[in-house]
Amino acid sequence: MTHIKTIETKNLCESAKNGGCGECQTSCQSACKTSCGIANQKCENSKESK
Amino acid sequence: MIHQYKLNGYNIVLDICSGSVHAVDDVAFDIIALYENSAKQDILAQMSEKYLGKDGITESDIEECYNQITELKNAKKLFTPDTFEPMAGELKRKTSGVVKALCLHIAHTCNLNCAYCFASQGKYHGDRAIMSFETGKRALDFLVENSGTRRNLEVDFFGGEPLMNFDVVKQLVAYARSIEKEKNKNFRFTLTTNGVLIDDDVIDFANREMSNVVLSLDGRKEIHDRFRVDYAGNGSWDKIVPKFQKLVNARGGKDYYMRGTFTHANPDFLKDIETMLNLGFNELSMEPVVCASGDPSELTEEDFPIVCEQYESLAKLMLKREREGKHFTFYHYMIDLTGGPCIYKRISGCGSGTEYMAVTPWGDLYPCHQFVGEEKFKLGDIWNGVTNTETQNEFAECNVYARSECRDCWARLYCSGGCAANAYHATGSVKGIYEYGCRLFRKRMECAIMAEVAKMLGNEE
Repeated sequence: MTHIKTIETKNLCESAKNGGCGECQTSCQSACKTSCGIANQKCENSKESK
Repeated sequence: MIHQYKLNGYNIVLDICSGSVHAVDDVAFDIIALYENSAKQDILAQMSEKYLGKDGITESDIEECYNQITELKNAKKLFTPDTFEPMAGELKRKTSGVVKALCLHIAHTCNLNCAYCFASQGKYHGDRAIMSFETGKRALDFLVENSGTRRNLEVDFFGGEPLMNFDVVKQLVAYARSIEKEKNKNFRFTLTTNGVLIDDDVIDFANREMSNVVLSLDGRKEIHDRFRVDYAGNGSWDKIVPKFQKLVNARGGKDYYMRGTFTHANPDFLKDIETMLNLGFNELSMEPVVCASGDPSELTEEDFPIVCEQYESLAKLMLKREREGKHFTFYHYMIDLTGGPCIYKRISGCGSGTEYMAVTPWGDLYPCHQFVGEEKFKLGDIWNGVTNTETQNEFAECNVYARSECRDCWARLYCSGGCAANAYHATGSVKGIYEYGCRLFRKRMECAIMAEVAKMLGNEE
């Protein structure tokens, strides 16, 4: 019986290894301009592990 | 830390620090809630009492479920501890002094007189002004000079209404294009406009040069025209909607946001989203109003459950239309569970005052567009750089762990500590929190993640 379905997600702990390049967009520039969030930002680092 | 919630028929469990998302049955949902604070035998006994015999559930099913949860914990996909605090601030230290985005206040004036405008009709509580080409050119040079090895530079033409100074916008884009190869930079421009002055020339230019355009439309005509009026008091909806449609139709797939604001006058903002969809727009953003406490347009506690219900209905509408092949995007629901930002970005805050600044028409630097006009936040100017290092340091220190309220919040790695301007206006400190905004943010995230789960499970309902 399957009780749990784990959705494929980025592993945040792993992202510590190659992350932090800083090439991503600033959080609300070019967008909403009034309510900050980073969940919907794109990662621009092709080396970054998922 | 975990967060559990039930929405739209899904039981969802988020493991905050690994970023894992699990869709679980009722038994697993209940076991996970008890797992950290109760002994295995106690949990199994409670579950047997509640579920044994229901839908054919056996004791071995319950134990198997318990064991699956233990396996996920061992695999660091449940109950993962937060080990990120030492990394807080590291990204900002690594990129200290690097500026990668400017908001150019190209015109502190506006041809609309919207009562709810956080920028006080574009004047930011000061005098009307427009940016000269020389000031704008220096701002672009300042950005290039301070961008280090960063290649992609973001520049937003903002106001007031930037099209009231369109010639300078065009000249600045031409200047930027003339230097980007030599400087090894790639400028990404955005134009934020109320649409009144859009014509064929603007459409050609914007669709050629702007990576993104942000078009202000509040949805239903009566809602839009309540606030978005000219100085004679006439609503702008009839004038701008055909212009927006023409611009978007000619955009050729490039990004845009149809951006609305909802207020106390329309907490039922889904009707406004539906209006936008019916007008043919499908890249949408609808933002809660930012205004002074006590303002008549301020969202109230009574509005809160209505807004939450609207967010839920919006997620369901999105899934329904997805099934029908009528895809649309909503800015706050654009969550990429398999991609998205790395942990450094997630704990670093938005970058205002450090990598992102606003430039006034006369060349002063502020931490972001929402602080312009607050004199004590002036950081310096584009000729002499940042001189108010005390204030800049305050922004540099903003991160998830700098706010005590964020430490215990499950949404902290999705919001990164929230908006410094909202926090300042709500509490008087950039390291405070705007609690109403936090509650809305959490609701949006629950809806956004549910929609992704529904899509990924292919069981969209």
